[in-house]
Amino acid sequence: MLSREEWLPLARKLDWDYTYVREDEVFPPVISGHPWLPHAEWKDWEESFKTSYREYVDNQYEKDLAVYAVRDAVGRLENIQKLAAPWLNSLKVHAAALPLAEFTGVIGSLRGARFGRDSAWRTMSTFGALDEYRHTQIPLLLFHQLVRWDSQFDWAHKFYHTNNWFAIAARHFFDELTLGQNAIEFAIGTNFVLETGFTNLQFVGLASLARESSDHMFERMVTSIQTDEARHAQIGHPVLEVLMKHDAEYVQYLLDKWFWRSWRTFSILTGVSIDYLTALDQRPYSFKEFMEEWIIDQYLRTLDEFGLKKPWYWNIFEDELDIYHHMIYASAYTYRATLWFDFVIPSPAERKWLRQKYPKYWDDMDAVWEQVIERWRTTGPGAANEFAVHGTALPTFCDLCQLPLSGGSPRKNTANVLAQDGRKYIFCSEPCRWIFLREPERYANHQDLVKRVLSGEAPAELPKLLTEYFRLTPDTWGKDVYHGAYDWLEAKKTSVA
Amino acid sequence: MPIPLYGFLEGDTLGLLVIAEDAQTVLELTRKLQEAANIRVARNEDVELLYNGKTLDPELTIAQAGLQALDRFDVISRHRV
Repeated sequence: MLSREEWLPLARKLDWDYTYVREDEVFPPVISGHPWLPHAEWKDWEESFKTSYREYVDNQYEKDLAVYAVRDAVGRLENIQKLAAPWLNSLKVHAAALPLAEFTGVIGSLRGARFGRDSAWRTMSTFGALDEYRHTQIPLLLFHQLVRWDSQFDWAHKFYHTNNWFAIAARHFFDELTLGQNAIEFAIGTNFVLETGFTNLQFVGLASLARESSDHMFERMVTSIQTDEARHAQIGHPVLEVLMKHDAEYVQYLLDKWFWRSWRTFSILTGVSIDYLTALDQRPYSFKEFMEEWIIDQYLRTLDEFGLKKPWYWNIFEDELDIYHHMIYASAYTYRATLWFDFVIPSPAERKWLRQKYPKYWDDMDAVWEQVIERWRTTGPGAANEFAVHGTALPTFCDLCQLPLSGGSPRKNTANVLAQDGRKYIFCSEPCRWIFLREPERYANHQDLVKRVLSGEAPAELPKLLTEYFRLTPDTWGKDVYHGAYDWLEAKKTSVA
Repeated sequence: MPIPLYGFLEGDTLGLLVIAEDAQTVLELTRKLQEAANIRVARNEDVELLYNGKTLDPELTIAQAGLQALDRFDVISRHRV
């Protein structure tokens, strides 16, 4: 019987020379990716962590047992009901954004499993697809029990099937990154950029927040997922090594594109959870501090290791660390009925903390919160007053990332208009415009929400937009967790009187 | 004729869709954006409307000012620091 060390090379390297078909017919460039290279260029492809199918199944079985044990011990409904209300809404954000995005990762990984250019790559991608399927099913299983208690958790499955504005943006991102991507760009965009960098935000940062928030079920779930991510993320490095020898400029483009697109999505998903939906005394760090420690340092080291440059927009990105997710959260609070989870206004103590962590722009953001608070003070608290403290005009969205035009700062919004081929496009930022202009054929025909409303596809009136197009209901659309009844807001009212 | 425009009010956190009419004045458009953003930005009377980098005369109509569908305009404080 072969030893493990003898078996792995035998099972991993299975390529042969084709005689009845050409290699580019087996691996068409359009789906294998650019640059198309003969297999001789890929034959030394090697992952750093090797495993066999038997080992894989044994490990996953043990990990699943651990998740089930934690669910049975601390993941019952009564445990979840004890969690702080803001954190529960952070859960709802991730319950919706995570599972079906992971399922698109199954499809992308399967493309690597078929069209990856070396058999070892294809083997690793097969395990990656199984991982992603697990990452789809575990959160669906864990959150399903909560639907009967709180229908907003129904969005764990429903979210990507709606035309909710955030679902449009998330689909635009994941459809390109994973679902419809060729094997090479998937390996760079997903395995290298997203999984070696940004998933740390979700699976390390959130695990830590969950622990602080006493949400041990979520902590265990994301930690378990992270161990899979760490394994299949390594697909990206050897792909990058080969590409760098043949088209370094293209590699730089793919990295710069996917770093920006990932930043846009994850700054919202994780930034809002860390800086707004976690109780102040349970925040071990700010979102910016976490980005600097876990994402930026590691990413820059990796770029340096491969002889790659920082993205050209690095100064813009660094500036956004101080402001972008704050702009989005304040905007979303004032359009909370357009989303499937509830919001909180940062308390005076939280605003003091935010000012300390984000001194560059906080004065401008604080003025926005003062105005929102003043509106609650005028109307008085109560569920009946939710829409009196809510935006009515249609928000606007970027033609690339499909997210609100919240780039720049309150003093200077960086949205910019492009007239091209008889049409007008608007972008939230220079990097979004740059990505669009590099591949206009890919993006030009996608309609953002504003253009859907103007063309009559989506209703213009807010109530119809919410119920008919976003598929929200009065039970599920977002509200202020406390309907404006904050102790500190009342206290201030009393002291003013 | 309704003209959909992207409006950006200084102090706000996002752009808003504002539907203007040909015969409306620049001042009316300014007030419309301020009203739409008032939940986040306190009303400031001392503002001006910028279009293509130039301040527009508040008495001009939208048609005279040449604003086209899906253009961007900004409303900023007249004494911007």
